[in-house]
Amino acid sequence: MFETGIRQFRMAMGMVWGRKLDTRNLARLVDDALATIAEFGEPGADARELVDGPFADPRARIEFANRGLRRTADRLGRESPFYARRFAAADLDPKKLDLERLRSIPVTVKRDLIERQSDFRCPDVPPHLATRTTGTTGNPAEIWMSRYEVELWSGMSALTGVLREEIKPSDIMQVNQSSRATAAVHLTARICRLVGAGCRVLGVVPPDEALDSLSQGGSTLMSASPSYLGELVVAARRRGMGPADFSLRRIDTGGEILSPSLAAAARATFGVGRVNDTFGMTEVIPVSATTCSHGHLHHDLNMGLAELLDLETGEPAEPGALSTVVITPYYPFRECMPVFRYDTRDVVRALPDEPLTCEISGMPATSKIVGKADQLIRLGPNDVVTPRELAEAVEALPSEPWPARFRPLLRDGRVKLLLPSSALAGLGEADARQHFEDRGLDVDLVPVPDEQAIGLRNLRCDLRETTFVAAPALIGD
Amino acid sequence: MVNDSLVYPTVFELFVAVGGSLITCIVALLYVRRVRLERPAIGVFNRRDICILFSFIVLLPLLYVILPQWALTSFLVLTFSASVSIGYRPLLSPAVLWPALGFLIGLNIWMARNLLGSVLGWQIYWVENSILVVLGAVAVANLYCQGGMRLKHVSWFALILAVYDAVFTLKWPVTNTLAERFLGYPLDPSVAFRMGIYNASIGLGDLLVYALFTITALKAYGWTAARVSLVVVTIFGAVVPALAPLVFRQFIDARTDLVVPAQTAFGPIAFLCYLWFKRRWGVERTTAEFFASQDVPGNAPVVVAVPATVPDRIPASA
Repeated sequence: MFETGIRQFRMAMGMVWGRKLDTRNLARLVDDALATIAEFGEPGADARELVDGPFADPRARIEFANRGLRRTADRLGRESPFYARRFAAADLDPKKLDLERLRSIPVTVKRDLIERQSDFRCPDVPPHLATRTTGTTGNPAEIWMSRYEVELWSGMSALTGVLREEIKPSDIMQVNQSSRATAAVHLTARICRLVGAGCRVLGVVPPDEALDSLSQGGSTLMSASPSYLGELVVAARRRGMGPADFSLRRIDTGGEILSPSLAAAARATFGVGRVNDTFGMTEVIPVSATTCSHGHLHHDLNMGLAELLDLETGEPAEPGALSTVVITPYYPFRECMPVFRYDTRDVVRALPDEPLTCEISGMPATSKIVGKADQLIRLGPNDVVTPRELAEAVEALPSEPWPARFRPLLRDGRVKLLLPSSALAGLGEADARQHFEDRGLDVDLVPVPDEQAIGLRNLRCDLRETTFVAAPALIGD
Repeated sequence: MVNDSLVYPTVFELFVAVGGSLITCIVALLYVRRVRLERPAIGVFNRRDICILFSFIVLLPLLYVILPQWALTSFLVLTFSASVSIGYRPLLSPAVLWPALGFLIGLNIWMARNLLGSVLGWQIYWVENSILVVLGAVAVANLYCQGGMRLKHVSWFALILAVYDAVFTLKWPVTNTLAERFLGYPLDPSVAFRMGIYNASIGLGDLLVYALFTITALKAYGWTAARVSLVVVTIFGAVVPALAPLVFRQFIDARTDLVVPAQTAFGPIAFLCYLWFKRRWGVERTTAEFFASQDVPGNAPVVVAVPATVPDRIPASA
């Protein structure tokens, strides 16, 4: 107990002063947290503040952000060729940087990262592991991580997961993410190792193989993209499988839109209480966000700043406005190839300026991500159709067409929605139209042959990995 | 051969030691069953904490001996304030707790400076001082026990203290020096009383170990173990040390004070008792299991469903 107190103090001081954290100290804190839960059944009453940070107080939040920005900018100005130039052009004194002056620095976009990748690397840190974006929304970007970053992020995630009781030593995590998502897979495996949980990395294999593994392997946690989860639900239902066939207690998804109808179907099919809908992005790792039971998206402000910028003006978004999420991971949480004010182009709505009442009300929140900025369909100044509205409407169709395949086209001021014929099965034209109108969508439905479905919309479940199990035998039986 | 002049003080010591030990242990038992102390988000008592505690126990007496009196009193005020305020925060609002604590400590200091000229004055002082000491011992014992300290830790701790106590009483009489240092000054860390010219006392450290042993036994193995622990505390923590000077002259120091290393009698027996509990009942319960058990008021007894008819034996053909 005394040692744990000293470890917590060291970590807290590291975070307050912005020094690199001792990752061995962090790993021991994970052990301490596990021992605490083994002895008491739950962490102490202050665990929530330890995990979520002191962000309920707006003044504390601003002070914390200002300090994080200054130390991050100070280091980037010295070590990152890209940002040294950018800060010099903006005549920025990192020591005087605050949330007000931050707006003088242009946002970083994905093109910068792809075209001038080497300029983002800080030469004072040896690279250890490279990870790429999956490229489902454009050309992939490559991010290098240091060994310290890998150890730090997994340690922080393991500590948070243990304190939130999201992962236990008795768990087995089945990872159905693309094995090319190096960071996600590598970090998940390390988190499991730190906690003492099992980790089964399967990748995006044929759904029947994943289901066999789930039902026979005793997995209690599963990580998959929403689209792959849709495929699993469909396959499980086809095989007549239900909650009794699985021992899952939670499913983690992210990276795509998870509709309420698919989440409900996954809960019913796999017998889990909750499907966690999280936000994570390779470029801004380790800053992430989680969805609460009220449907808000809460960004973790311990490791970075999340700004909401109005899509039209680029200024801080007013409540209700569609805005892009701009993220700055703080030093010392990102050191090898950091980004500053990275424009994710993920669009959310700023929430009304009222106190939150959800279970993570201490952390500021936005709406869920409604889609990528370049995928919004603008019908008028205040009339925008978002990918989330379309995906939720399609996935709520009686045919249960999971994952949703569709392509919206703007023609003569109207939305033409291309859908596979099978998605509209069982509905007449009028009923189908009514289904979308009930969800506030005035669209013209255009059925296309089912064979063209995959081409309508790129999804992570399409990053399918081949296996020999499903291949037909050539010789023998 | 029993020295007749020692009979009165040893019998007097017997009453004080047994009374002080039992009151502390029983109040600690009541506390652990009914009051939940706040604990940090992360942290559970472990073996290394015992080492740290032991280091404090070795170093603090040396500090007590070298500190000037005003500094020693200030240190004791701080220690008592911290332990009592943490322990009784769940029971009293700050508006009641802090004035009450201030009153108790203030009164103690005033009495130590003004009342010790008569036997009655000493007696009033000791009663008030003993209340503070019992409150402190109960609070700290519960802080450790509810912080995850196990019977295993307490037993090892008692065993190590047995050696320490013998060495620092018989070889290097630090305990004797400390007893002299505290006597007649505010916040003497002892439960004590005075009859005539005799002061009989039992130290806060001993009471803390007894309370810890009893409540961790309850936590680990339930009421039977707690009752056995109370018997062990009474006999080997109070009766044997109190009567020891009748047999062993080594406990009479140069000032003819009787200073007995109580832990030397208690530690080995407590350790053997723990080994017996372990052999009999196996693995200790965790704190969570204890709080969920029927040993804590408010937890409903577990109703075990029994089949209406149970066949004597299963037919061979089944």
